[in-house]
Amino acid sequence: MNLTVNGKPATIADENPVSITDLLEKLQVEQREYVTVELNGDILDRGDFEGATVKDGDTVEFLYFMGGGR
Amino acid sequence: MAKTESSLRFDTRLIHGGTSPGPSGATKSPIVQASAFAYDTAEELEDIFKGRAIGQVYTRIGNPTLESLEKRLAAIEGGIAAIATSSGMAAITTAVMAIVRSGDEILSSASLFGGTYSLFHDTLANYGISTRFVDPTDADALRGAVNENTRLIFVETIGNPKMDVPDLAIFSAIARENGIPLMVDATVSTPYLARVGELGADIIVHSTSKYINGTANSIGGAIIDCGSFNWQSDKFPHFDQFYRKYRNFALTARTRKLIHKDFGACAAPLNAFLNCEGLDTLSLRMERHCSNAMRVAQFLDAHEKVSWVNYPGLPDSPYFEVANRQFGGRFGGLLTFGVADKASAFRVINALSLAKNLANIGDTKTLVIHPASTICADYTPEVKALMGVGEELIRVSVGIEDIEDIIEDFAAALEQA
Repeated sequence: MNLTVNGKPATIADENPVSITDLLEKLQVEQREYVTVELNGDILDRGDFEGATVKDGDTVEFLYFMGGGR
Repeated sequence: MAKTESSLRFDTRLIHGGTSPGPSGATKSPIVQASAFAYDTAEELEDIFKGRAIGQVYTRIGNPTLESLEKRLAAIEGGIAAIATSSGMAAITTAVMAIVRSGDEILSSASLFGGTYSLFHDTLANYGISTRFVDPTDADALRGAVNENTRLIFVETIGNPKMDVPDLAIFSAIARENGIPLMVDATVSTPYLARVGELGADIIVHSTSKYINGTANSIGGAIIDCGSFNWQSDKFPHFDQFYRKYRNFALTARTRKLIHKDFGACAAPLNAFLNCEGLDTLSLRMERHCSNAMRVAQFLDAHEKVSWVNYPGLPDSPYFEVANRQFGGRFGGLLTFGVADKASAFRVINALSLAKNLANIGDTKTLVIHPASTICADYTPEVKALMGVGEELIRVSVGIEDIEDIIEDFAAALEQA
């Protein structure tokens, strides 16, 4: 499926919906214990990472609180 | 099967928790003595500023050596994140200012380190933030002191220098009942005596300069976010944008991206490295600090020239029961005792040879001070009484020397009392 991740096109091999937990693994997202995930403009609770899924065309942002900006 | 970090026992977590291999497999996090960090493209730096990517920007905001200390402290305390600061007072100031605003009130234990008392009573009062100081062992008075403006409850695990031990379960219950976070200064108890997040602290602050550093070679502080407080609250509208984006990291995000960044009280990389070094041996040192302090307390308690001894490990201490329950039969390295009067206290201090007369605690060396004429000299008589600081009082930070030498030093000095 094709996604937009942090503003850039990204493709993952899966066709079926993929959980956020699996997506973090597939994209080798850094420091997963600290990441915030925004799916199509909505911030997800960490407790929803297992249940929430992405599908073709979705927009995903990974956000960290460590950087300087807001 | 490899154990997960949180399943490691405390002494192992002290050494391995939150660590990762350094360059070339180095077993120490290097001292990254750099002010700023360069990137190949403008896009990379933009992503970091947007929070889309992880990366260091500028040491005031973050630095790999500081991050190493932060990750270790978070792992050791069971927190979700930590921020290293330039000193313990910087940690308290930064953490408190991240939470309260002008017009808000702090409900604080009346038994406080002098610097914290001064911050709350004088400095913050000048910015429209007032503090109610209440006896931390009086649950009814604490409950009664909460009002509609209270936004933070603050307490020390072991009051310095009063040596009282508040029941954190009571503080935590009052905080929960009122939807207010509980900040605990655990400098004197250290994570060795208790992981206070497990006892209800939402935010833990440390002066890492003390027992965590352990050898008094650098100043530092830390804020540990336990991730337990829900910042989505009408009482904290200034957290909205941070809660929306960072959820249970809202406090750390607001602190790091706003207050800590703006106040600029960042730790020096070398100091952060030295405080990391201390963590490795914290348990071993604290074990000896505790056993030595108990022996000194027992010796002083039996001495004819000593009027009283305040050490929570003595069974007749009013704080023994709470301390025993909270700290698992360990009582720390700090105690106070009284002699006849100020002149007598000065003679004892002047006659000590091993114990150093200085304003610090938590060193390997045994340290003494006469608080009434030094660290608490600016207090009014009423405040001194509230803090339990009499003219006859000597504070002792018991070191890890051979206990017989420490006791002989006090025995000889007390002859001059």
